[in-house]
Amino acid sequence: MGPGLLGYTVRRLLWAVPVLFIISVVVFYMLRLAPGDPVDAILGQRFQEDQAAILRKKYGYDQPVHIQYLKYIQNLAKGDLGVSTRHQQFTVSEVIIPKIWVSTRLGFIAIVISFTLGTAAGVYAALARGTFLDPLTISFWLAVDAIPVFVAAPALMWLFALKLDLVGLGWRGFASANIILPILVLSLPGTAGIARFVRASVLGVLQEDYVRTARAKGLPERTVVLTHIARNALLPLITVIGLALPGVAGGSLVVEQLFGIPGIGREGFDAVLAPDFDVILALVLFGSFLFVMANIAIDLLYAVIDPRVRVGAARG
Amino acid sequence: MLRSLLRKKLAMAGVIFLAVFYFCGIFAPLVAPADPYEQTISAEARLQGPSSSHLLGTDRLGRDLASRVVYATRTTVVFTVVVLISGSLFLGLGLGLLAGYRGGWVDTLIMRTGEVMGGLPTLLLMLAITAAFRTRINDISFWLEDHTWLGDDAATVTKFGIIVMATVPFAWIGSTRIVRAQALAIREEAYVLAAEATGASQWRVITRHILPGVMPLFIVGVSSGMAGTAGAEVTLSFLGLGIDPPTASFGSLISDGAGPQTLERYPHLLLAPAIPVALFFFAWNLVGDALVDLLSPRGQHSA
Amino acid sequence: MSNRMLTLMMGMVAFLILAVGAVFVIALAGGSDDDDTTPGASGDDERPRSSGDGICSGNSLIVPGSDPASVLDPIQVADVATSEYVVEIFGGLVTLDTDLKVQPDIAQEWEVSNGGKTYTFKLRDNVVFHTGNTRRVTAEDVKYSIERAADPANASPTARAYLGNIAGLRDRYENKAASVSGVKVIDDRTIQIDLVEPSDYFLSELTYPVAFVVDRQQIESNPRNWTQKPNGTGPFRLAEFKPAEKIRLIRNDRYHLGAPKLDEVVFELGGGSLLTRYENDEIHIGYVPASLLDSVKDGSNPIAKDYQAVPNMAVFYFTLNPQKAPFDDPKVRQAFATAIDRKTVNSVLLYDAYRAADGFLPPEMPGYSESVKVYEYDVQKAKQLLAESKYAGNLPRIVLSYSGSGAAPGELLVALQEGWQDALGVTIELQAIDSSAFLREQRRGNFQMHSDGWSADYPDPEDFLGKLFASDSTLNYTRYSNAEVDRLLLAARTEQDRTRRFQMYTQAEQLILDDAVVIPTFWPVEHVLVKPCVQGYPAVSMTVPKYRFVEIKAE
Repeated sequence: MGPGLLGYTVRRLLWAVPVLFIISVVVFYMLRLAPGDPVDAILGQRFQEDQAAILRKKYGYDQPVHIQYLKYIQNLAKGDLGVSTRHQQFTVSEVIIPKIWVSTRLGFIAIVISFTLGTAAGVYAALARGTFLDPLTISFWLAVDAIPVFVAAPALMWLFALKLDLVGLGWRGFASANIILPILVLSLPGTAGIARFVRASVLGVLQEDYVRTARAKGLPERTVVLTHIARNALLPLITVIGLALPGVAGGSLVVEQLFGIPGIGREGFDAVLAPDFDVILALVLFGSFLFVMANIAIDLLYAVIDPRVRVGAARG
Repeated sequence: MLRSLLRKKLAMAGVIFLAVFYFCGIFAPLVAPADPYEQTISAEARLQGPSSSHLLGTDRLGRDLASRVVYATRTTVVFTVVVLISGSLFLGLGLGLLAGYRGGWVDTLIMRTGEVMGGLPTLLLMLAITAAFRTRINDISFWLEDHTWLGDDAATVTKFGIIVMATVPFAWIGSTRIVRAQALAIREEAYVLAAEATGASQWRVITRHILPGVMPLFIVGVSSGMAGTAGAEVTLSFLGLGIDPPTASFGSLISDGAGPQTLERYPHLLLAPAIPVALFFFAWNLVGDALVDLLSPRGQHSA
Repeated sequence: MSNRMLTLMMGMVAFLILAVGAVFVIALAGGSDDDDTTPGASGDDERPRSSGDGICSGNSLIVPGSDPASVLDPIQVADVATSEYVVEIFGGLVTLDTDLKVQPDIAQEWEVSNGGKTYTFKLRDNVVFHTGNTRRVTAEDVKYSIERAADPANASPTARAYLGNIAGLRDRYENKAASVSGVKVIDDRTIQIDLVEPSDYFLSELTYPVAFVVDRQQIESNPRNWTQKPNGTGPFRLAEFKPAEKIRLIRNDRYHLGAPKLDEVVFELGGGSLLTRYENDEIHIGYVPASLLDSVKDGSNPIAKDYQAVPNMAVFYFTLNPQKAPFDDPKVRQAFATAIDRKTVNSVLLYDAYRAADGFLPPEMPGYSESVKVYEYDVQKAKQLLAESKYAGNLPRIVLSYSGSGAAPGELLVALQEGWQDALGVTIELQAIDSSAFLREQRRGNFQMHSDGWSADYPDPEDFLGKLFASDSTLNYTRYSNAEVDRLLLAARTEQDRTRRFQMYTQAEQLILDDAVVIPTFWPVEHVLVKPCVQGYPAVSMTVPKYRFVEIKAE
């Protein structure tokens, strides 16, 4: 990494601060100016004006927006994310941290499975090029990807839980078999994209000179595959995975709803509809932060891999 | 260039399917056997399986499911076309070219904005936007009905407009990224530098040299993203935040039939919309994949 | 076939075998269902979970529950979901039994004197809090709890509405007094409450959570976090609370009315395919969705034997805003009321999921009268009424607003909309508004026509009619005003004779229905499935403490 790239990295990191700042201000204002009002949601049908005034005072909604924002930043610096108006018993951290943890673990397992299956399928398809097994493999995974999750899930539930009675459906944590169906539903669709990518990558590498050299040298096929092809083909895959990882922390709304998983996808959905200001803001900031970091990392990788991009960026 | 017969056939089948699908969507009133809004609430008429009078059966309100599926294709067709033109074409291509070719602060501005928007949880924000505007739907559609030629369709147009508005801001980011990367690379090519050296205007350089270079991957990107765009609409409708009844859309049709018990007793409710929409996604995936093979040099492509 | 092809084919087959095998292995090894404990299970006093086969062999009841929206503090409870838990954890002077009759709880007996304006309660001597101390609950605790409810600093949303009749409470709430003058401690076991005006339903109001007794010592020593392990006098106490995941209540052995038979009750808050889990023997109670109701009711569905219909003391209705055209003309309102075919919609569309409403007060409500009638469905008459109105042939656009936190309108609304459109030739637009905005717009009286619902806080007609239709009521958003109705409601409030009081409410109800500002549609019914091994699960139409009567008998 030359000095130009180091400077580039530092500049991008510095950019992250105002980006996050703008996001926080925009979302903060949007929430308070949008039609939804958490005090309404709390009081419901038994609303009374003086009651509402007291609640607004309690949460600080009666202050001008910029004062509220300053207060929020002050608390944020102390690590206090605010109180959830939907779960009044809990602070925002208490609500979202366990859920983010659940969603992240779930998503991570799904990505690992996707990655493994996808790589295997992609390599297999590449090696099978010229036969019908190549397009068959890819088309199979594309078909799996095409089934919407809210169609696949009830079908799988019906088959595995009701008819075959293999698994239960309630959320029993990661130690129980009930986790299989959600993981299947989460991991299988993504396999297609990874398989295609790996296949193209492997095919490209297969034609490179060093592979032909290795084969010409008489190295066993297995060595050729493992050491030469795999290493070079999989490097760009990291880019793809890197882009997908931050999304994992966001959870999958539909899957969590269908299986009753206490994840952050559902929590975010409910928070947006309530609206639960502090939870929404915390999630947005967290997601943006992850995304910005991931972007920087990937742009760096691009620059390292493709010299043309590096030159262009320096010129620009 | 070995191209396996199977893959080519599959992609061709995909193209044919998409053609049929879009045909149904555009000519829905002609294709649909019955009125998709007509309800018959009686025990004999509702929730019937496929029969001679109702090819795909009826739904809970006695409406002809086949017609509703046809009109649902119209919803998807309109949505994908509108988002394609506004989001991917104008915004994605345009901003990508701009960012890649001009570079400098233009590039930085566009990419940082894309980062900001991309970092926001898309589904949540789409929810927020649609929820915020739903209270205004009737105001907007009434105004449109009175002041424009739209008449009765104003309400549907408004609902569409809201979902499109919620999706387009996020649809351009992927395309822009692809186009920009390509543009960055192409502008260093010898023929581009030569054109610039001989005094060609920027506009000419972009349209004559850069644009043709980015088109292949752009097309690949768009076709790969088509399924995702349509998927967003289907998901929103499924959650009840998209196009809602009585207008037909795949998401709402599926949500009617989803659920293991419903699947067991009235499978046609789920299968009738699920199969076409799954085939739709599959067809786009296949076409996109075939295009990758066709348009990328030596089968290699950059992500 | 070439060598290469052979290898590839074998690879494919190997993959398939591995995949299917993996699924089976994990499924069978992980075991099915419920003997796993959730990771990170917190909470002390954790009773060992029943291992062994299935949910019927232990003493732990698993039911679906809703996420509480308020804190577990009785004076802050404003929603039905939270009160489900609060009524089990806490208790007050009186409670409601499963027949919705007022019963003594902490109070053993009481006397009414002074023309109905003074209540003197004698407390039991064996009521204790869950943990932390062994002292008896005394009259001082009762006074402390009511003072706390009235304290403006606590901002209780329900204190004034339910305890407003206690002398001096409003003054205290508005900070005009330092304490509630109407609550007097006579001695350790005797407390006297004076009212502003005599009221037949005061005791019913006292069953509401805001009047529950709380532990002063706990609150004063831990004012910010005491609700995390609240100390109450109820039959259960809180062992575990994971937001949107679960709540676990465990038995209070020292409960003064008799300890519950269950060890614990686990409320699953996560939702997700409840019916499927019921069929899979993972939970004890399930709810039948409307779409499957027919197969359950006619017995063709195997779960039909577990079915119980539980009526709800609530009413669904449409509100027609008399301040907005065209509903300012009573004939238009009456036309709409006459053009709604409840019975067909209910029986065909909903499989009799609800009961078609013949009046406003539901049948479970004390004071319900069969003599109250709604407009009969008659399309001809409806058309005629419309033709006679001043909007004949010139109806403005009609927007029917409903609260949908994103959800699409139920088939019910769509069906009724079609019904009105067909019968009257009107155009009705459905407008979905998410719930918090809906409530606000409703309050401002901005809706032309909207779908509405009301459920009982306590079993008395005052809770329905007085709260919604008196012109001075803060909940009367459409500013409906009928002088005769007001007169009847006012007289009924202070009438001591119950029969005469109910007669007044019946008259008022009929007048309200004749005015057609509200069109009641249905009285809801909950369609519950109860596992055969669960005994004593009561079919109550309101939220009352009920889990202490339930037991699980191993089959």
